[in-house]
Amino acid sequence: MSRARHNPKRELWLAWWTLVVFYNFFFPVFFVVTRVQPPPSPAWDIARQVQWFRAHHFGILVGFAVVFLIAGMTTMCNALIAYSMRRMSVSPVFAYSYLVMYSLSAVPGLLLLCIALTVGALRPERDPELIGWIYDFAFLSFTGTMGVFLIGSLVWMLAILTDKNRVFPKWFGYLNLCNALTEVVVAPSWIFKRGVLAWNGQIAWWLDVVVFGFYTGVFILMLRRLIQREDFGTGPLPDLAPNKVAAL
Amino acid sequence: MTDFETDLETDLATTNKHARFVPGQPDMWAFVLFETLVFTAYFGFYLFYRARSPELFLHSQAQLDLHIGVFNTLVLLLSSWSVARCVQSARAGAYQPALKDAFLTALFGLVFLVSKVVEWARQIHIGNGPATNDFFTYYFFLTGIHFVHLLIGFVVLGVVVYQLRSPMRRSQELIETCATYWHTVDFLWVLIFALLYVVR
Repeated sequence: MSRARHNPKRELWLAWWTLVVFYNFFFPVFFVVTRVQPPPSPAWDIARQVQWFRAHHFGILVGFAVVFLIAGMTTMCNALIAYSMRRMSVSPVFAYSYLVMYSLSAVPGLLLLCIALTVGALRPERDPELIGWIYDFAFLSFTGTMGVFLIGSLVWMLAILTDKNRVFPKWFGYLNLCNALTEVVVAPSWIFKRGVLAWNGQIAWWLDVVVFGFYTGVFILMLRRLIQREDFGTGPLPDLAPNKVAAL
Repeated sequence: MTDFETDLETDLATTNKHARFVPGQPDMWAFVLFETLVFTAYFGFYLFYRARSPELFLHSQAQLDLHIGVFNTLVLLLSSWSVARCVQSARAGAYQPALKDAFLTALFGLVFLVSKVVEWARQIHIGNGPATNDFFTYYFFLTGIHFVHLLIGFVVLGVVVYQLRSPMRRSQELIETCATYWHTVDFLWVLIFALLYVVR
């Protein structure tokens, strides 16, 4: 009776769909509504930066209001990833460290950019010097801190590669390494104001976003497959029945 | 059944499943593919910038010491040779020689790292830093990201040594997977060497 009433898979699906909904807001808000990504050039002079804030005024205010509403949804995403590690044969240390790291990373990696750009857009008549300061602060806090997520990717990778419960395929562990390695190359954006390694450069931003986008798509599908296979046991995760795989 | 027996069975089952497909875990070959794609993009950007200012690139390339580049390449090719010998010995059950070859590989890797740091120091000393011009940005970036891959290679060699040391472990699949990673790092260096030092 109680089993019929309580379906723990439903709770996992709630977390997964929250993750899907979050990313369905996240990318359109940054790329379409606010148009703050792809990022503008760090080499612009202050007059051009002020003009950029004026041109993006409305989009930034509306778009980031949405981000502040949905930012909390990332906790479900992080929790689901930590859950995947708890289902593995590895120590809970991996899941806990990932959870703490990603919870803290949301501050420099997401919220600071949104707050700084909203402050800049709120009063376009503000002293241009201050606007220039906010511009640098916002984009450095976002692109420049991408490396904070690097260790998280490595933690997940280590958990996957040492896991014996076959929760994820090993190639996905290696994809985590590939993602971490492209995050390493973002670090030079602290130094370069132009060229491929600047915060809007082809390597530091464009390539990184392509890899990150692919990686995000893959890990969402991997988590979906995990929930489908979940048996709430402790040993190796069973494979999906062949007829079920065909139906997916 | 003990944990060790279960692991061994899982390992053997996986090895048998993929025995005639590729050496090591097929998953590592997926990594080779990802990394090759990412480096193809790096090289594409390099060639694009090179086509935009060919004279600057030619002039800057002339300041690199081809001898160091050739030396680096030979050292890494030797490291690939020793890691291949390591795999061969492990396959034949000769674990002591395999262990020696793993250490020899690490030694070649270390020689490469030291010579790279010396080369960077020399370039910076003569005034060619990462922000000097587009060529040197690429030079430091490509050699730097390769350097990071090689540092990970030492962790990977550590896994090989760990596997070889105890008869309780010795997973041939893992040893071959690690060797595949090492070869990939070597393969990427050969491309970087060709682009930065040779193609003019």
